[in-house]
Amino acid sequence: MLAQILAITIFLVMFILVIIDKWERYIITLICAAITLISVFGIGLHSFQAIIDTLNVTSIFELQFWYSAGESSEITSGINWSTIIFIAGMMIMVEGMAHVGFFRWLCMRIARLVKYKVVPIFITFMILSSFLAMFIDSITVILFLAAVTIELSQLLKFNPIPMILAEVFCANLGGSATMCGDPPNIIIGTSLGYSFTDFVTNTGLIAGICLIFVVLYFYLVFRKELSKNKEQQIDLSDLPSPESAIKSKSGFAISTCIFLLAIVLLVTHAMTGLSVAFIGTFIAILTLIAAGKSALMLLKKVDYKTLLFFVGLFVVVGGLERTGILTLMSNMIGKISGGNFYVMLAIIIWISAIASAFIDNIPFAATMIPVINNLAATQGISLSVLAWALAMGTDIGGSATPIGASANVVGIATAAKNGHIIKWGRYCKVMVPATMIVLVLTTILVYIRYL
Amino acid sequence: MEQFIISISREFGSLGHEIAEQIARHYNLTLYDRNILNEVANSRNVDVAPLHEYDEERISRIFHRTIRGMSTHISDHVAQLQFDFLKEKAESGESFVVVGRCSECILKEYKGLISIFIRGDKENKIRQVMEAHHLTRSEAIYMIRKKDWRRKEYHNTHCDYKWGDSRNYDLTINSSRLSLDECVQLLIDYIDRRYKKIYEDVKNKME
Repeated sequence: MLAQILAITIFLVMFILVIIDKWERYIITLICAAITLISVFGIGLHSFQAIIDTLNVTSIFELQFWYSAGESSEITSGINWSTIIFIAGMMIMVEGMAHVGFFRWLCMRIARLVKYKVVPIFITFMILSSFLAMFIDSITVILFLAAVTIELSQLLKFNPIPMILAEVFCANLGGSATMCGDPPNIIIGTSLGYSFTDFVTNTGLIAGICLIFVVLYFYLVFRKELSKNKEQQIDLSDLPSPESAIKSKSGFAISTCIFLLAIVLLVTHAMTGLSVAFIGTFIAILTLIAAGKSALMLLKKVDYKTLLFFVGLFVVVGGLERTGILTLMSNMIGKISGGNFYVMLAIIIWISAIASAFIDNIPFAATMIPVINNLAATQGISLSVLAWALAMGTDIGGSATPIGASANVVGIATAAKNGHIIKWGRYCKVMVPATMIVLVLTTILVYIRYL
Repeated sequence: MEQFIISISREFGSLGHEIAEQIARHYNLTLYDRNILNEVANSRNVDVAPLHEYDEERISRIFHRTIRGMSTHISDHVAQLQFDFLKEKAESGESFVVVGRCSECILKEYKGLISIFIRGDKENKIRQVMEAHHLTRSEAIYMIRKKDWRRKEYHNTHCDYKWGDSRNYDLTINSSRLSLDECVQLLIDYIDRRYKKIYEDVKNKME
């Protein structure tokens, strides 16, 4: 009982401190993790083994961590090192791509392909945002897309806010389509043993259908605002050439090859047996070798704070899991739904979405994984369907408010740095209906396909 | 002419802005205050009204989030736009008078900076605000408290030293003890002496 009270108190304090946003998130989760190890596992449970299991360091030295030989990965608890190593590897690859000018080149190239017409740029950037977010973290996607959007808006004389909002939403939607698109998906995939293909054929399909409606929605909402300066004559010779974005031609070619290799490895990892941790490490090593003298600079640019945030978070959630709090939560969901699968799915999708709109979706997803795992075991229902519902709910719900997802924060900050103010009201007026449309569509599609 | 930047921070109702205007007029310098945002908006071709809403506004901790140094705190971004503007002007060698905007700490690396904090007695400030804004006594008290609290919160978020702490400024004066003209004269005298010293220091260094 003491351990349970301590675990839930630490978890709630951590959540509140993360919301208040006064101190760095990684400091909060690491301190809470240390307190969890000492008080919950040490004082409450008197279990040294629980500490060892939660730290989960030994798993890194097992063959299955790197190569699963066609078997489904083991369901893990405690610190999910696969997620952390994979994200670190992808961060290095993305930094390498950014360093040679890949993203800026891609955005400028697409703008030129559509002859710098505002509405076609708007539509293609939405699709580009979704596509890139399937493989690359949404922070990087928006960082570059929003910057190029603002640059183009100054040259082509349009308001960049509608385009940035649409890009942010599409990045979050694209992230839901794959296992590596959004951190909750990576955590869900590595924790429950799902592959890249599993995600693409389930959440990917739903996200693809939703994207059609989302593009249509944003076009209808913003078409007047984007067509304001249609008649204005723009001198296209003033516009920077896409090639000017490339800082090193050989580096650019190598980075593009590494990116394509990463996609191939991820798409085929269920067949090759290579784990995401292996892929992340391999891609990072390739990027660092290719970077040569710039390797140290790339390593310095890795967002270690986010990785440490994950480490702390997994320990605190491990505290909830080992003290049985999450089993109680899943039993409660089972009771409320009365064992009805329809209600259970709706609860998972909508509660995840509402929660993710206001709190960080990463701790929420990490907390919910043991809950749906237990729910599937006790209620005798499909774990995978609950996993897809959780992934969609957490990924999409985050779009509704400015603080719901990382891409939203980056989009708003990039716009504000250039004097374009996106207030809560302006943001929610457009993004809440879009989120509702996608959530309703997701619920319907999940019901049709799985029930 | 060597660069000199006069930074004037002030309590609400202490006549700080009026003093800054007179000093700017005396030296024939540009006065930067809220108008910084007009210049920022013009240069970036954006609407100025939303920027003014967040001018010298405190940063709220609730319903905001920071990711990799990027945040949803609009007031922070608006403050940064103003700081960048001031640094750009200072870097260009321009001499100017600036009111508030954490200028005494943002521009402290410039040797030509002269920082002044103007405070006032409570009763004088209340009387001043009642007259200037046609308010009742209680309304004026409320307005002074609100404005000063905001300025303090805004300043202390961006600077190491606390707002109004005399260690942060070259000179702190109580404008209620002298008339407006006497305050201005006293400050001009101080600025002339400081300018002379700055000029001599530069000359000695060059020799």
